[in-house]
Amino acid sequence: MPVPPQREVEAFRVRPITLWVAILLALLLQTILPLRFALAGLMDLPLLVTVYFTLVRQNKIFGTFLGTGLGLVQDALSHGYLGMFGMAKALTGYLTASAAVRFNLDSLLPRAVVTAGLIVIHNLCMTGLQRALVDPPPTFVPLDLASAVLVNVALSLILFPLLDRFR
Amino acid sequence: MTLFDPNSTEPTASAQPVKREGTAVSALLARRRPLLVLAAVLLVQLLLLSFQITRNHDVRLIRVWAVALVDPFQRSLRGITEVSEGAWRSYRSLWRAQQENQELRTQLVSAQSQILQLSEQAAESVRLRALLEFKSQLPFQTVAAEVIASSPGESSNAIFIGKGADEGVTSDLAVITPEGVLGKTIAVFSHSSQVLLLTDPSSGVGVMLEKTRVQGVLKGDSRNLCLIRYIMNQEPVSPGEAVLTSGLDQIYPKGLRVGTVVGTTAGNIYKRVEVKPAADLSRLETVLVVLKPNSIEQRAANVSPHP
Repeated sequence: MPVPPQREVEAFRVRPITLWVAILLALLLQTILPLRFALAGLMDLPLLVTVYFTLVRQNKIFGTFLGTGLGLVQDALSHGYLGMFGMAKALTGYLTASAAVRFNLDSLLPRAVVTAGLIVIHNLCMTGLQRALVDPPPTFVPLDLASAVLVNVALSLILFPLLDRFR
Repeated sequence: MTLFDPNSTEPTASAQPVKREGTAVSALLARRRPLLVLAAVLLVQLLLLSFQITRNHDVRLIRVWAVALVDPFQRSLRGITEVSEGAWRSYRSLWRAQQENQELRTQLVSAQSQILQLSEQAAESVRLRALLEFKSQLPFQTVAAEVIASSPGESSNAIFIGKGADEGVTSDLAVITPEGVLGKTIAVFSHSSQVLLLTDPSSGVGVMLEKTRVQGVLKGDSRNLCLIRYIMNQEPVSPGEAVLTSGLDQIYPKGLRVGTVVGTTAGNIYKRVEVKPAADLSRLETVLVVLKPNSIEQRAANVSPHP
């Protein structure tokens, strides 16, 4: 069966040190900043790290495992059940790689749009899992979702160009 | 022509399709590998969550899911088992019911036969009791005898009874029933006797009418009726009047019921009086033979041992 023609992709290799430092900082800041700033409770740095490095790597398996790992660590550091963030970020990583292969996401605006969509998917996935598995299920507040999208997209506009310097 | 060359390096025709199939499967798996990895990762984390989350009084979600997954099959299997067991029980019940039905039918037939026998015995007991009571009231001695046969031939109205000379029976002895006179013995054998019924044309019984005391001779008629002869036309005879033995023939004791007048017709000199016998001549089972004194002595001689 002939393989359908694909867009010529430009995948970059990521330096391991950059990846690990970014992961560590994301997790640390995620646990510290919300203590100081109320708005920091809406941000999701491990998600942004997953999205960025998967966009760069453009590998579905890489994105899946990166999201799973970061999500599980995030679960372990939070009060929630192990696997909630893991599943949501695994799915997000996979979709990020799918989008990266199909679209040209080198410029800022496409990245922001895709990031916004991925954040929505991630948060909806979390909400869906909590409503399906947790008893009693939490209330879904659309305003919280919109606020989280805005905060994280704004953060990505700063973070992604910063990480591009180390690509 | 060589069909198969073992030294040939070309792949055989049968190996090529398998190789193409394997390549296609590998390509499919390679193309879908990221999706398969995602599915595997999600499944593992879902299982991880199911071990942590509890429902319904701390029951782990994994148990809840496992029970939910298996329960429909368990219910289905239980339903099938119950239906099968129910069908088997119904079959066995039906089979047992059929067996029981057959047994009950057999018992019913047996019980009905017993009932019939007991009814016959009861009826015979009633008859014999009535005969005994009648016998005890008679001022003369009698001996009971079973009717064992009737004479063949329509023209002969005679029967055989089971008592004969050894029981003290002689000829010309009156034979009666509680209903009325039957006839007389005409032939006696060792253990049986022939009795001529009063409906036989050759029989004759001295009779009299109960009310008017008019006397005559009763003769048998071929139509199972009797006629009284020698009653003058002017003698009053009315239907329904009872006819009794007169005792003038020295055979039948006086006063025994013979029958009932059913019709009278005036003749030249004598009336024609039709009498219906009182005894039911079509249902004879047990009769009494009136013994004469010499008959009684002979019977006693037969019973007691000779010195």
